[in-house]
Amino acid sequence: MWFSRPLASLVGVITIDGLVKRRGGKEILAGIGFEARPGRVTGFLGPNGAGKSSTLRILLGLDRADAGTALVDGVPFPALADPVRTAGAVLDGSGAHRSRTGRAHLRWVARSAGLPPARVDEVLALVGLTDAAAKRVGGYSLGMGRRLALATALLGDPSVLILDEPLNGLDPEGIRFVRTFLRERARSGRTVLLSSHLMGELAETVDDVVVIDRGRIVATGTLAEVTGAHRNLEDAFFALTSGSGR
Amino acid sequence: MRAVRAELAKLGTLPSVWLAGVLAVVVPSGIAMLNSGVPGPDRGYQELAFGVMGVIVLGVVAVSSEYLTEGADSGGGRQLTTSLTAVPSRVRFLAAKAAAVVLVAVPLAFAATAATMGVVHVRLAEQATALDAGRLAGVVCYWTYTALLAFAITVLLRHGIVPLTVLLVNTSVVSVTFLLTKVTPLAYYFPDMAGMRMFVGEIADDRVMISPLLGLLVMSAWVAGLLALASAVFTRRDA
Repeated sequence: MWFSRPLASLVGVITIDGLVKRRGGKEILAGIGFEARPGRVTGFLGPNGAGKSSTLRILLGLDRADAGTALVDGVPFPALADPVRTAGAVLDGSGAHRSRTGRAHLRWVARSAGLPPARVDEVLALVGLTDAAAKRVGGYSLGMGRRLALATALLGDPSVLILDEPLNGLDPEGIRFVRTFLRERARSGRTVLLSSHLMGELAETVDDVVVIDRGRIVATGTLAEVTGAHRNLEDAFFALTSGSGR
Repeated sequence: MRAVRAELAKLGTLPSVWLAGVLAVVVPSGIAMLNSGVPGPDRGYQELAFGVMGVIVLGVVAVSSEYLTEGADSGGGRQLTTSLTAVPSRVRFLAAKAAAVVLVAVPLAFAATAATMGVVHVRLAEQATALDAGRLAGVVCYWTYTALLAFAITVLLRHGIVPLTVLLVNTSVVSVTFLLTKVTPLAYYFPDMAGMRMFVGEIADDRVMISPLLGLLVMSAWVAGLLALASAVFTRRDA
């Protein structure tokens, strides 16, 4: 198919345009659009319920938009020829069944993408789960589950990482690990898009910022542009989203 | 195909699938053991008709395991999001899963049939009915179809408890579909009642005669219809 071959200039680019989503008669996304580019960490920020998760779920083809497009490498996610090697996603929890071991979970994902089983041990080591690999996911702590989700996303060494609230449930050491890790991904030319409602935690991690509030984009730009005259990103964020009922 | 191999790996590492395998062999052969004092033309076949719990569990958990939510304190995620980011085509995902269920259900049906008929022939010796290839093929078909019905119903409901309870109760404790035949002869065309005709000659106080071929056709239509409905719903709704 002609559209499954990305244009060179779109490799690693996330393009969201005019996205509308209604649920129960309520418009939860009112035509939002933004871009995330390779070599940069893009922070998708907004209060709880602003539409961050809905946007990312549509981007991953899990939910359907009522209008608009969400593309990775210039194509909708479900049309990607090799999704596991193109984009990795970290959504809620571990994304694994609780009665399976961490290793068994990673093995089936690897198998679905035709990746060698050795890659499973590599990503387990990368996120520090080697010792827990033979334990059932039901016995994992929240932080371990998040690490397993990250390991799953990294299996195909994708050029794009999409993470929904990746810092939730992590201890300070875990937060530091994820931050450093995401910075390194961007430095090596990959695209990182992460959502968060925690501004303070993110200021040191992101290059670009997209602020969403009640289904609308209220600011986009580099960290410096969005912070503007405010003391810091957190102040800017509260000024931009004031009155959204937090 | 990679997606089918991934689905087989999922089934093989799920404890409830191993339980399903044990149930599949133990239940019909166990009932056959209890019934073996009473010879008859349907001995063995009847046990295989009512002993399908194993493949019901298989079909249900293959799907319900995708929808099982992790506890709120472990982040509230579901495996389905991982599955659909690895295999984003809904049709391909569902087809691969159904294929994996069939690839497990068929050998289970063979094992259960061998065990059950083994018990019948050892216990009844020359009083046992001679084995008939057509009827045995009917057993394998009925078991595979039953797994697919459980699969399709669970896709529609997105939860395992209700289909598991209803289908298991129907096949073991009280056969609702059988009781309905007392109300209307149309109930003989339920998938289980019709499908059994592929290998069970006589169903108590028979008022409607259905040939094995018609039984096959009726159950095939149910399976095809429910699978089509399940995939139409699954491809359209939010995951």
